[in-house]
Amino acid sequence: MRHEVLIAGRGGQGILLLGHVLGLAAAKYANLYVTGTESYGAETRGGDSRADIILCDEAEELDYVKVRHADIALFMYAEQLRRYSHLVNNRAIVFVDSSFIAREDVEEVKGNRQWLVNHKPYTNIAREELGTHRVANMVALGHLIGVTKVVPPEAIENAIRELVRPKWIELDIKAFRLGLSLR
Amino acid sequence: MSRCEYIPANIAIAEGAMAAGLSFFAGYPITPASDLFEYLAEKLPERGGVVVQFEDEIGSINAVIGAAWAGAKAMTATSGPGFSLMVEGLGLAIMTETPLVLVDVMRAGPSTGVPTKTTQSDVYQVRFAAHGEYSVPVLVPWSAQEAFDLAVKAFNIAEALRTPVILLTDAALAHTWERVEIKGHDEIEIVKRRPPCNPPEKFKLYEPCKDLAPRMAYFGEGYGILVESLAHDEEGYYSPNTEAYERLVRRLVAKIERNSHLIADNEEYLTRGAEYVIYAYGSTARSAYAVVKELRREGLRVGLFRPRALWPFDAEGLKKATESAKKVFVVENNLGKMVREVERVLKNKEVIPINVIDLEVPPPDKISEEIRRWL
Repeated sequence: MRHEVLIAGRGGQGILLLGHVLGLAAAKYANLYVTGTESYGAETRGGDSRADIILCDEAEELDYVKVRHADIALFMYAEQLRRYSHLVNNRAIVFVDSSFIAREDVEEVKGNRQWLVNHKPYTNIAREELGTHRVANMVALGHLIGVTKVVPPEAIENAIRELVRPKWIELDIKAFRLGLSLR
Repeated sequence: MSRCEYIPANIAIAEGAMAAGLSFFAGYPITPASDLFEYLAEKLPERGGVVVQFEDEIGSINAVIGAAWAGAKAMTATSGPGFSLMVEGLGLAIMTETPLVLVDVMRAGPSTGVPTKTTQSDVYQVRFAAHGEYSVPVLVPWSAQEAFDLAVKAFNIAEALRTPVILLTDAALAHTWERVEIKGHDEIEIVKRRPPCNPPEKFKLYEPCKDLAPRMAYFGEGYGILVESLAHDEEGYYSPNTEAYERLVRRLVAKIERNSHLIADNEEYLTRGAEYVIYAYGSTARSAYAVVKELRREGLRVGLFRPRALWPFDAEGLKKATESAKKVFVVENNLGKMVREVERVLKNKEVIPINVIDLEVPPPDKISEEIRRWL
């Protein structure tokens, strides 16, 4: 088993936290080998933000530290979809936040590749159902885990409890569970 | 008890050092090594250790030398520009045979260069920057787990051979997060510093044992201690004559080179019978490994030779691993450095430098494109 997961969006959308939660959950609570790297712009908000997470069950399967052929990708903003879509494989499972990304944008960048695209308005869902757009990342993570099942949901919840500041834990877990239930 | 964590290589080094018994850290903040320092500032005092920020890197390395002579297992961490300032102290540690670990997290130079990004351009700096005759062990991990393991090994070599040891990583690896098994102090092999075997009146601070490394006494134990930077005899007295000087520097070099069995450590992947062998180290070796797997899938007989110790250069290990090879590719994220050593050792083989400068990590595609021209 080996997965390359690419997560990209704008600074402020919680991309790096999402990557950390997924990496920690896989490494510490799901007994997987993980390589995680991140890159981000100098701006606190609005710049580029990207997390690369490679998951596998044998250490020998880890090599180059960055994603080259993502089989799972999550785009939270249209600009990053355009910038990084070349890293996404044919037949990848792709998640897009339709609050910010139109179907036409996806069609335009994917070319001949067959992607299994999941359009969900994570940010709108977070704002409308949980009262804040700030947990859109956890809604998206929930959806990603629910569909791909790369890591058990309990592992993610453990990682949220370990990483997130106490006052956000319950809301993040609620958002994650909401994402899990999306169909 | 060992535990599993998801941490980057910088933190893995801090954990490895603490597992090995680190009790003193001195440093000056520098990207991309600062988070190692910050982490230790929080964790080491909880274990009874001391962490101090000095006025600069010169102060830091000298404090580490002082701490070692007070009996501590001591370490500092920096990057290229800071290493430049530490070079004088490194020479002092070599001449006085002071056990310590110096972590160097490479970034792109010269000068302040690109602070947050990587290259592998300091592999000569760490080996040759100090003046005079010497040899110094340099270990080079390729993953967060190995950063932990080699931090432990660095301390063991430092103690066994009474020498500074350099642990060399880079900006990319420093912030690559991976699963790391953090072993407890009781689960790892720890080499202890050799105490004097004679009473103070008979003890000579620089008298070598059979393996050429001397025993060590500390300040405050009743021994007369002369930590001498001038060329000295076995008692530490200044000896400006050819005979004493030659004996000293020959031993300083031989102490490292002849004990290479304690240092040399290579990973070989499919080198047996290989037609082509790639030599690569550190973060770039991760990409080279991906290339080897890719070319193997195409039926090409390619192998990977990856030293975990860059210096002293393991000529015998390399010769053996490349016996069947027609061509040897040396892949580095610099303009060609270790390739000179490989060429020197493999005189009768075709050695091809693959120099891929990339401020991240050279991607496998760039490397394989270069290599394919020669297949």
